[in-house]
Amino acid sequence: MTVEYVDAGEAVDQAKLSGKLPGNEIAPPVVEGVDYERILNARSEPENWLTYYGTYDGQRYSALDQINTENVKRIGPAWIFQAGSSGIIAGASTYSFEATPIIVDGIMFLAGWDGWVWALNAKDGTEIWRYKHAVPFDVSLCCGNVNRGVAVAQGKVFVVTANAHVLALDATTGKRVWDKTYGDVRAGESATVAPLVVKNLVIVGSSGGEFGVRGHLDAFDIGSGEHQWRCYTIPKPGEPGSETWPADGEAWARGGANCWLTGTFDAETNLLYVGTGNPAPDFDGGVREGDNLYTDSIIAVDVDSGQIRWHYQCTPHDVWDYDSIAECILFEKDGRKLLGHFDKNGYFFVLDRTNGELVNITPFVDRITWGAITRDGRVTAKVYPDEEGVPVHFYPGPAGAKEWTHAAYSPKTELFYVPVQDVGATATRRRREFKESIPYWGAGVQVDIEDMTGSISAFDADGEEKWRWRNELPMCASVLATGGDLVFAGEPSGEFNALDARTGELLWQFQCGSGHHSSPSTYMVDGRQYIAVPVGWGGWAEGFLPGMLGAGHGSALIVFALPES
Amino acid sequence: MTMAQERSDLLSQLGLNVQNRAAIGRVLGTGSIGQATEGADGRMSATIRIRPDEIAWDPSILVMPHGGDIDLEIINDDLNTHCALLPSNGDRKFIWLVNHSRGRATLNLDGPGYYWFSSPTGNDEGRGLTGAIVVLGDVPPEARLDRPDQPRP
Repeated sequence: MTVEYVDAGEAVDQAKLSGKLPGNEIAPPVVEGVDYERILNARSEPENWLTYYGTYDGQRYSALDQINTENVKRIGPAWIFQAGSSGIIAGASTYSFEATPIIVDGIMFLAGWDGWVWALNAKDGTEIWRYKHAVPFDVSLCCGNVNRGVAVAQGKVFVVTANAHVLALDATTGKRVWDKTYGDVRAGESATVAPLVVKNLVIVGSSGGEFGVRGHLDAFDIGSGEHQWRCYTIPKPGEPGSETWPADGEAWARGGANCWLTGTFDAETNLLYVGTGNPAPDFDGGVREGDNLYTDSIIAVDVDSGQIRWHYQCTPHDVWDYDSIAECILFEKDGRKLLGHFDKNGYFFVLDRTNGELVNITPFVDRITWGAITRDGRVTAKVYPDEEGVPVHFYPGPAGAKEWTHAAYSPKTELFYVPVQDVGATATRRRREFKESIPYWGAGVQVDIEDMTGSISAFDADGEEKWRWRNELPMCASVLATGGDLVFAGEPSGEFNALDARTGELLWQFQCGSGHHSSPSTYMVDGRQYIAVPVGWGGWAEGFLPGMLGAGHGSALIVFALPES
Repeated sequence: MTMAQERSDLLSQLGLNVQNRAAIGRVLGTGSIGQATEGADGRMSATIRIRPDEIAWDPSILVMPHGGDIDLEIINDDLNTHCALLPSNGDRKFIWLVNHSRGRATLNLDGPGYYWFSSPTGNDEGRGLTGAIVVLGDVPPEARLDRPDQPRP
């Protein structure tokens, strides 16, 4: 006798099984009114954190001062969001938060690893909606299953996925509005960048510099998702800059220069300031003689056309993996429009952002052995992997004296605050053939697990160090500066610190239970200031701090505030 | 070391592809392979099932010819209760599968690449109820790099 099957019904969205009450899965339409003008003037609404760096200038500074040097010792956790991890995911041992929380009128938009996006009530941490993109298990990831955050505008939340899609989600429901593929996973491309909204465009860059790809920026129309322009960061033969690549062969086609970190923007120059990544292969310069433009460069890109207007190369013919992806912080001094950039190579560059002219260059880490850059910008390489099979030790290691995690600038103190990693590495050149989607480093590399140190260091625009808060371990997380004269900085060992912005004195500390490798932000709801920090060790730890590869993972967003009473 | 035999013969001889013979459970990736059916409109469909006492998906590797939507029929022929957590763009899909039950799931997946799915209860995932969905194909032409064709492994 045949027994009828029990009808198990239709599979449901997993979010339906997350304890939400019916009707509570819709966010208020706070993003509807976020447009270019509001983002341009984001400084005027410090209660929100509207764009990746808080403002287009990349300063990571908030004027909020309710929490200040006098009372910061009283702050404590207001709420915690635990993301967790389940199932078999890509880079299963590398996931971590690397995002900056975005906050609009009491609603937080947060990206996690492996395609997660959440809308949370910024006052109490309640999850409103979630979006989960299905990320292929076998996607190429050089540096972990990570994502640096979302952008918001015109009712939408924009995010990239590890398999190089850019998505627009409805900011009230989390449902997909449009979905565009902008990278080739079969070529080893991926995506980790937080998108940047400028005018009617959402701008994203590609990842994959360790796989021998050709880097690019792409712009899409916010409303329709229609592709607007692509800017390749390696010129084709015959284009300006192509003379810096070997004339024969296809080194240019595998040259790297990925823009895997969000750029900054100046509406007056109409230029995006974007850092480009390392050349490929990372450590074998013999197969790509020349300066290798526009790798390891600051490029100024016309936001309307996607054309490169000027460039400044920080490490010509890099063989140490010194991406120049770090943020370009825009500021003014003595009537000049400048930008400050702390490079992986250990030098702090100040450029005139109207034309790329070098203004200042200063080392910001104690140990620099790879080479030297003079005050007028002349670069001399000293120690590098050159002979096949011969180990070479150099400082800083491939994660740089400062990795992608961000410095901050306070217009109030006129100081830059930079997280410093003083760690060396050994590279042994091992030439290999290029094969699409296979890692293309050209060396065996081991980062030191001893004799390392770190700091939060404060510099003025002339490159003079004003103070240094020293740490036994390298500092691997972004810094936040506030109008309360505070600098917030997380440690790899889990402590979240508040320093006096004028002296570097440690004023407050909280052990978060896992290391920091993301970017805190601050906001205000109903008159109460909050400091939000995504916590959790992971990512490319073997690159920036392998001495802590055995540390526990974490997946919490912790939000701090003063007591309500 | 024995290497020359056919893979399936050696799996069977060693007991890697059944419960509680070689290992405690069934080693992942030792199950069957199936291909989804494609309709005229490009929409795909397939059936996956759990057979009695195998604690494994059949097929344990499901191949889709390209990215897009797929309709799954999921059958639990086992004498125990399981469930399924499946990848899909938007949110993962969950279904509870009591003994001798049949359900449905609609997934949307990008290609190319592969994804794991499982029965996230007890240690069904470790015993063998972890399967893969493989999506064939390439990214759209407009997403590819402007460069000459490059050698692949």
